Amino acid sequence: MTPTASDLLTGCIKTLSAQVAPEDAGLFMTARMRTVALLNRLVALDCAQGASLRVAENAAIRALIAQAGPGHAALAQEAAAAGDGDYAIATLDAANAKLRRLLIDLHEKAERAGDGELDRKILKFYRDMAERRELVLPPVKPG
Amino acid sequence: MTVLAATEPLGRRLEAYLSNLWDGTVKVRELARIPGGASRETYRFDAEIGGVSRGLILRRDPTGSLIDTDRQVEFLAYKSFHGIVPVPEPLVLERQGGVLERPFFIMSRVDGGKVASVMMTEPYGARAGAIGKELFSILGRIARSDPHALPISGCFTAPALADCWREALDAWQAVIERDERHPQPIVRAAMRRLRRNPPRPAQKLSVVHGDYRSGNFLHDGQGRILAVLDWEMAHLGDPLEDLAWCFDPLWNHFDDGRVAGTIGEDEAIAIWERDSGLVVDRSALAWWKLFSAVKGCAIWTTSAKEFVEGGHDLVLGFAGTYTARRHDRIMADRLAQLVEEGWS
Repeated sequence: MTPTASDLLTGCIKTLSAQVAPEDAGLFMTARMRTVALLNRLVALDCAQGASLRVAENAAIRALIAQAGPGHAALAQEAAAAGDGDYAIATLDAANAKLRRLLIDLHEKAERAGDGELDRKILKFYRDMAERRELVLPPVKPG
Repeated sequence: MTVLAATEPLGRRLEAYLSNLWDGTVKVRELARIPGGASRETYRFDAEIGGVSRGLILRRDPTGSLIDTDRQVEFLAYKSFHGIVPVPEPLVLERQGGVLERPFFIMSRVDGGKVASVMMTEPYGARAGAIGKELFSILGRIARSDPHALPISGCFTAPALADCWREALDAWQAVIERDERHPQPIVRAAMRRLRRNPPRPAQKLSVVHGDYRSGNFLHDGQGRILAVLDWEMAHLGDPLEDLAWCFDPLWNHFDDGRVAGTIGEDEAIAIWERDSGLVVDRSALAWWKLFSAVKGCAIWTTSAKEFVEGGHDLVLGFAGTYTARRHDRIMADRLAQLVEEGWS
């Protein structure tokens, strides 16, 4: 899992409160401050969609597994049981971990069975999932 | 040898070390840490001995690192290619940590150069074409070199040509399995597919830089590459590994029409083929391109783990978050495309 917003902010706090060696002042610290700014930007982006993104991804994985066909009923049952609980980020991530493991199982089974339709459906799901999870930072223009 | 206590300033300890090594009084001036990734701490300084000053770079092992790399490999990579392609001259390798707490090496400093940030658009401006021509010519010359004639070859057991892909994939898959903190279905699918659709054997064994890309070389702003840097992941393998890594969209500066923000892919391949003496097998290159995303995923997976469980180095936090998610998307797109093109 990529670091959580809490992890990222903890890193920023540690950096900002650490004693700076004389040789670290200057270019190095300037670059570090830029990184603090970038990480805060990432935290803002992540928090804006934190719970909703996870709820949507978990629901989409459950639906994908439920619609995979009768041969995957056991996986569908397990997926349905992996609930989102109290919607705390940690609970949603724990459910997401279970669901992703089931999705990996499903994909391996589809590949072994030569189920091209399900394979392509899962690959399309991966593209959508990665797109939704991406954190888009504006590129830096020259000058 | 006089070893000063770790509580002494770094510059004084460096002075004591170099004075002993070079058998004269050395003054260290303008010591400053510079940003340079997370795999080594990098410092610039001037060393003055006998009234003569020389610009140097100190690369010291960090307390935690992005990837576990051997400073001897990096040092010998510089030694191997100094005089063949533009690299700094390696001067001192200290494998014992006592003097500066952790192992380090010292090399000559190349002044007057810039390093492009991968977050920047059009970093080479009107000189992009010239930079691209040189970038892929240098990579071709690295690929052409006989690894057995180079000092770095002693660091490795040479893989069989048919095993280059498998050894590379095994190594990075092991990293993912060791450091993964959350299940990653995309990279799992990519690794299965890579194993089911292996590339043809490497045409020749080469030294692979391991991280050859925009952002890892110094250029003069006028279209000339001054130094290829960051050889810490160097190894022996299929030279297509470096080419594919350099082509990865992560390093294209948000320009899908140009590799490494420089020139088109076809032109880059033609230059590389001319200077390596090799021919690019496009299907093998496609394999190495997907592999590049897997390798990236492994590096960012370790970054995330070390950021959270280690020292909270912000560079690792950024790599483990932004870069990881961007590479996931690149990997998912590439995987789906290869299956559409007929991969089993």
